Amino acid sequence: MKSALSKFKSLRLVRAMGFNRVVLIGVIILMYILFAILSPILHEGTNFVSYARILSALNYGYFIGFMGLGVTFVIATGNIDFSIGPVMFTSALISGYCMNSYGAPLWLSMILCILIGTVFGTIGGFFVSYLHLPSFITSMALMLVAKGVGSIFTKTQAVSWPDLSSSNGWYRYLVRAGDIPTGLILLIAVAIICAIVLNKTRAGRYMICIGANREAVRLSGVDTRRWEMLAFIISGTLAGVAALFYVGAYSTVQPGLGDTFNNEAIAACVMGGTSMAGGLASILGTVIGAFIVALMQEGILAMGFTISYQYVLTGLIVLGAVIADTLSRRRRN
Amino acid sequence: MKSKAITKNHAFMQRLVILVVVIVLYLFFYAMSTSFRRYTTLIQICNYMYYILLMAIGVTFPLITGGVDLSMGTGLICYSVIGSYMIRINGWPVWAAMVLTIAMGVLVGFINGTIIARLELPPFIVTLATMMCCRGMGSILTNNYSGTWPAAAEAEGWFRSIFRIVTPDRTPIPVGMVLMIVLIIIMSFVLNHTRTGRYIIAIGSNKEALKLSGVSVARWHIAAYVISGFFVGLAAIAYAATFPNITPGTGAGFELDAIGSAIIGGTAMSGGSGSVVGTFLGVLLISLLKTGLPFIDLQANWQQVITGCILLAAVTIDMRRNRKRA
Amino acid sequence: MGEIILQMKGIDKTFPGVHALDHVDFEVRKGEVHALMGENGAGKSTLMKVLTGIYTKDSGTITYEGRQVEFTNPREAQKAGIVIVHQELNMMGHLTVAQNIFVGREPRKGIMIDDARMNTEARKLFEQLSIDIDPRETMSHLTVAKQQMCEIAKAISHEAKVIIFDEPTAALTDTEIEQLFKIIRDLRQRQYGIVYISHRMDEIKRITDRVSVMRDGQYIGTLISSECTKEDIINMMVGRVIYEEPKTHSHCPPDAPVVLRVEHLSAGSMVKDVSFELRKGEILGFAGLVGAGRTETVRALFGADPKDGGDIYIDGKKVDIRSPKDAVRLGISYLSEDRKRFGIVLKKNITENSTLATLKSYTKKGFIDKKREEDVTHNYVKVLKTKTPGIDQLVMNLSGGNQQKVVIAKWLVNDSRIMIFDEPTRGIDVGAKQEIYELMSRLAEEEGKAIIMISSEMSEILRMSDRVLVMCEGRKTAEFDIAEATQEKIMSSATRDIDMQEAAR
Repeated sequence: MKSALSKFKSLRLVRAMGFNRVVLIGVIILMYILFAILSPILHEGTNFVSYARILSALNYGYFIGFMGLGVTFVIATGNIDFSIGPVMFTSALISGYCMNSYGAPLWLSMILCILIGTVFGTIGGFFVSYLHLPSFITSMALMLVAKGVGSIFTKTQAVSWPDLSSSNGWYRYLVRAGDIPTGLILLIAVAIICAIVLNKTRAGRYMICIGANREAVRLSGVDTRRWEMLAFIISGTLAGVAALFYVGAYSTVQPGLGDTFNNEAIAACVMGGTSMAGGLASILGTVIGAFIVALMQEGILAMGFTISYQYVLTGLIVLGAVIADTLSRRRRN
Repeated sequence: MKSKAITKNHAFMQRLVILVVVIVLYLFFYAMSTSFRRYTTLIQICNYMYYILLMAIGVTFPLITGGVDLSMGTGLICYSVIGSYMIRINGWPVWAAMVLTIAMGVLVGFINGTIIARLELPPFIVTLATMMCCRGMGSILTNNYSGTWPAAAEAEGWFRSIFRIVTPDRTPIPVGMVLMIVLIIIMSFVLNHTRTGRYIIAIGSNKEALKLSGVSVARWHIAAYVISGFFVGLAAIAYAATFPNITPGTGAGFELDAIGSAIIGGTAMSGGSGSVVGTFLGVLLISLLKTGLPFIDLQANWQQVITGCILLAAVTIDMRRNRKRA
Repeated sequence: MGEIILQMKGIDKTFPGVHALDHVDFEVRKGEVHALMGENGAGKSTLMKVLTGIYTKDSGTITYEGRQVEFTNPREAQKAGIVIVHQELNMMGHLTVAQNIFVGREPRKGIMIDDARMNTEARKLFEQLSIDIDPRETMSHLTVAKQQMCEIAKAISHEAKVIIFDEPTAALTDTEIEQLFKIIRDLRQRQYGIVYISHRMDEIKRITDRVSVMRDGQYIGTLISSECTKEDIINMMVGRVIYEEPKTHSHCPPDAPVVLRVEHLSAGSMVKDVSFELRKGEILGFAGLVGAGRTETVRALFGADPKDGGDIYIDGKKVDIRSPKDAVRLGISYLSEDRKRFGIVLKKNITENSTLATLKSYTKKGFIDKKREEDVTHNYVKVLKTKTPGIDQLVMNLSGGNQQKVVIAKWLVNDSRIMIFDEPTRGIDVGAKQEIYELMSRLAEEEGKAIIMISSEMSEILRMSDRVLVMCEGRKTAEFDIAEATQEKIMSSATRDIDMQEAAR
């Protein structure tokens, strides 16, 4: 049995993905089976096994996934970003409002949406890396600012992005074109880019090394502040991208919300093997983590539970992952 | 001797500055808006202040240990909702619901403290996790009940008079301020003159040294979070006594008002120093802003932006000051 | 001197790869000040950590007040009456003096801590010791000397019988040292057993009764302080074996160009007006005791810490170094004494560490050229003979010597001309030490690198340096050509010599 396990661990694909990631994929499959069996029992008349449900879960996975990808960079540097959820909403609110009320063309609104994310990321990054503020409190303050700005700009009104039927509805093909989950393709494409940036470029190398040992990197003659800030910029920008996929799937955004999503994005990261202590990050893990979060949400609703269970489970997942990570590191030392 | 006088002055000066800012701000609102001058505005400020102040007094203790408690906001709503559920659906008397509310706060505080102290995990992550759990728990346990606590006119409405009494000619008197001042005095005393307070400061100052002195550090470390949880329980009651409706799943962000107040009041993010009176002044400032801004025609949403900016500024100042000293 | 109060016999302690204590004997009598001497790394601290229960011994016995004891933590030792006076570590800066002294056993009135009584008792303690400290003062506002006195007062209030002073005078001024000595003499009078760890020769004569010397984890012998000379102690400390081949003359040609010139460098309280020159192909040894300000000097030079003043010239041109980035660009490299914290990224592999300082030149449009990066790493693994299964090995799995080689590789990849080695062989076993030495000589002589080597090991200084610069308390106190340098000369410049200090002023 043991040798079978070690043989499995040494398979090429398993090695390339990392054993933990393979386990996570197993978890997804198990969850799917579990939900498929339980949801008709617990909630009569539900059929979990349908393509529509998969698409619905994917919709949730996209924006969590994009945020998760961004925050993976931040966590890799040993920081945290609690502002991404509200930043995502604010980006969608302001750019959507510009489109609806000031008649901005769709393409401009989309660019604006991403740029707003970038701006918030830059501000957060500046405070953390150049002024040495703790990232958790900085990003929480920014979360307030983002929520407030979104509400002020839209005069506390919800903003709806155009429907598929309207002339400006083509952006929805980003998420889904008929039955083709284009969002999945785009998420994977961006994930690949992120993986390349994180593992194959100087920026990624520095970010991870900063997370592992900031002083050693600084004493090697690297301007650590710059790269640390870049991580926040990436995180903010991807929150802006996530916003497009959110409205692409759900069309309406409301001011003052969004903070539950950053917790879910962070949960996706830590589940995927990115260490809260910094210096260790997995893009693939984050993507799989995002889909676990999405599937969990879909399953919980399908079984007739409220979304509140999602909150509790997300909390427990974060706690569990951090405890497991800390204990395993301590055992190694 | 000289240096002592200087730092004493420094802490005193900081509090004085905040007090002056509060007064100036008050006068500013007073000058800008006639409706602000009404007596009811003062009542409104007090109403806003109670629950923030209670949370802020509580969080001062984890902050002094060098930690933080992020679970306060969603916790507050969670306990409050469960309390109302017990009263309205299960027919509990109000006093029992109040005990339960506080007990839940203490329990969550104990869980936070135990994980943080025994497993030595970062406080912000642990309390983030409990924050998420609280957010869901309130609605799960009450089946998504969105409730109220008894109104003043109802039979069990007596508890509201802890915070305000309405005279026969319909003038409200903010008696809650008396309770607040008593609690500030008690917690100042706990912080400065009991072992609990002493060791909580020592943990923030140098945990290893305290351990070497043979003190069971974990116990007092947990105590800090229990205190914070206890005060969240109190804050939940204050909230229920003030606001008509309590929606489960909300409350995220309240903790930032509390944490911000404490830091403005001179409690260091890096731990080791802080004062309950300072926290009180910080709360005065934040609740004055919260109530005053709408009077000068700024939407309520500006509060969030301004709170966020104040928080950033306070932490920046705090970091600068502590780095200079080091 | 009274009866023996503490006796350690045959204490043995092994760490992976290091025999830290090799059957060490040590004893303390009542009413004596017993000096424990030895070079850095001789095993003094380890011995004291075994005594106070921070480390557990592998074998040997500790007899205290006639009973065999075994402390499992410092708390137990403290309860029994054995207390270490640390330099700072042990205080809580935000609390007052009295609160620090009585932490963990505060007198109480009901639930209230009786601060008034605590202050009175602390004041009594200070009176006993004739120390002038206000018990209500906040600890972090005191000078180091006064903090130390508080530690002593705390030890006495714990009814200590054996007090261990670990380099107590390292950060004190002359008058403060006088005060401390007065207190120590007073304690001796009152029949305390005192262990005194110090590097300062003059103090040994002034304050101690006996002196025990350790070297390389072994107990060498014990002398009566009043009957021995400084030379006797130094001879025991240094021993013969390591001095196989001290350099006899400078290997650096006298006409070699000056690469680096530092003038009047000042930074913080630890670097005061330091000036020196460094030539191409030269190894300049920075000698001195721990805490002499050598690391601070090079860190300021390297831009790691802010400077207060002074000029730096490279190849005769004045340069402005504000951050390590500037220094690295100018071809300076710094190999920290604390490798794990400042030198390497433990969680990353050899390749990633080797190119950390030079990654830019191994990237094309931001992308890392994996092939070239691995080639250069392979190359340096070969050149430096780094022992590793492969270049993708995590650095945390390498031995100390091989970790050091990875750091060296990092800077060789950068082609630094000026290399600063801070305690290059700390935590490295004997065999690997030899390799590092050979490597450094080769770098200087064959590659023409200009090298600054900070070392607290006399043997290392004498064996490696072409020129020796000695520092003491933040100042440069002497500079010798290796041909003139002797241990004694270096030691006396490095230890505090009042007359010389006066002269320097």
